[in-house]
Amino acid sequence: MAEGPILKVDRLYKHFGGVQAITELSFELAEGELLGLIGPNGSGKTTAVNLISGFVKPSRGAIIYRGRDITGLAPYAVVRLGIARTFQMVKPFYQLPAYKNMIIPLYSPRVKQMIGGRYGDRDAVALDLLEEVGFERDSQVAYKSASVLPQGYLKRLELAKAIALKPDLLILDELFSGLSLAEVASIVPVIEKLRKEGKTIIMIEHRLKELFRIADRVVVLNYGMKIAEGKPEQVMETEEVKKAYLGVEV
Amino acid sequence: MFFGTIIYALFNTAILAITALGFNLTFGISGIANFSYGAMYILAAYVSWMLVHLLGLPFWLSVFVSIAITMVLGALIYRFVLLRVRGQVLSEVIATFGIGLGTLELFQYLGFVGFEYTLPVFIDDSFMIGDTVVDWQRLLITIVAGMLVAGLWVFTHHTRLGLAFRGIAQDESTALTLGIDSDLMGMLSVSMGCGLAALASLLIIPLGSISPSEGYDVLIKALAVCIIGGLGSTGGLIVASFIVGFAERFTDAYVGSQWTMIVSLAAILIVLVVKPSGLFGRQKELAERI
Repeated sequence: MAEGPILKVDRLYKHFGGVQAITELSFELAEGELLGLIGPNGSGKTTAVNLISGFVKPSRGAIIYRGRDITGLAPYAVVRLGIARTFQMVKPFYQLPAYKNMIIPLYSPRVKQMIGGRYGDRDAVALDLLEEVGFERDSQVAYKSASVLPQGYLKRLELAKAIALKPDLLILDELFSGLSLAEVASIVPVIEKLRKEGKTIIMIEHRLKELFRIADRVVVLNYGMKIAEGKPEQVMETEEVKKAYLGVEV
Repeated sequence: MFFGTIIYALFNTAILAITALGFNLTFGISGIANFSYGAMYILAAYVSWMLVHLLGLPFWLSVFVSIAITMVLGALIYRFVLLRVRGQVLSEVIATFGIGLGTLELFQYLGFVGFEYTLPVFIDDSFMIGDTVVDWQRLLITIVAGMLVAGLWVFTHHTRLGLAFRGIAQDESTALTLGIDSDLMGMLSVSMGCGLAALASLLIIPLGSISPSEGYDVLIKALAVCIIGGLGSTGGLIVASFIVGFAERFTDAYVGSQWTMIVSLAAILIVLVVKPSGLFGRQKELAERI
């Protein structure tokens, strides 16, 4: 494994017209680490993810992945390097059954490269992956069209598609939002298993209680700027974070 | 007469389906309405004619070369024009229509008009079904149309590239996160659409002669079939081809040939009013759900 951080975000700026969405954002991520990216609504978390995953080009700054400058690379190229992401608003292929949604990532250039073109029975692999994230094998839910699946299953499908890409760095954008406590409790072991397999993970979350149970470290954003970084419990004790979340004057 | 009209309505259905297939494929994958489609159809025929008459190539070889040239042109149109305006629907239409208009008018200006501009049929023979004369060329078009529809289904459901096409068609940003290069897919979709236009042209034009004005008719017919069926829907394209194909032939036989184009245009209007997304279109339904 390469020395140094798997990901380095270096003094990143992004403005949309006159709106400064991200200002001098820097952080690093070690191999196998789970980083929480938190902050109030509109603090720039999703923009940061869009910058890393190539959906938005930064105005300034650099994104270094495994020592390689990936700043401004197209999303499909970023994925091929091993960075997969999910969306806050789920984006399945609505016209396909859940398990068929998995076929496209399983056919992706990234997976082809990693398994040497030997796909095997893709439907079986798809069903295995879906079972891993909570699609019960003995139910018919994996065969149902994505357009009729409830939110809980759509979130799991989103996660399964990202896992199918065999990423080294997984970015989960508000995976827990819209899920019940029981649903979150059933997904947490999946994330812990991914960590044991050595995956590096960035989680954007508003569900802080659940996040803090599994995160090694958090970065807190407010108005596009990093206002704190460190262990979850310590970070939440800082005055700036309290002010950002609760509106308490320092 | 009635039985003969039915036979020729079926042939007309196949001709319409094969004519619209490329336009539908491009729109279905990349959402680009390629208004230079009719011009590519005509251009392929002229290229083939030049290869046969000026370079002395056998017709079958000119078909392959002509399809290849048209596909390359489609790729170039995407790479150097459409890529710049991608996502701006009106700009895409104006840009492609401009290219089409320029191409067709150039052929007109250069004097490529007249009965000498014809292409040979693949099979120059006919047979009788009852009292109706059936020529092999039309039968060949029908067989190729069926094979193409089946082939495209297999391609989009069982190949990596086909699945990537479907991914882009359904949700571009999701497809991007799964490692699919949407610009490459867009370029291939325009290129393959142009290739299908060329193939349709080289099968259909031997039934008549090459004329720049035919390019406009082809575009209108492709639009009619795709809009009635629901843009991007292959099932819709087939059903719409049957509707327009039969309506045209029966209008031709029982009302008058001058009314056939009116039938296509009236069908577009009626469908747009009654079911704006077409018979099998999903765009409206998706938009409503979101």
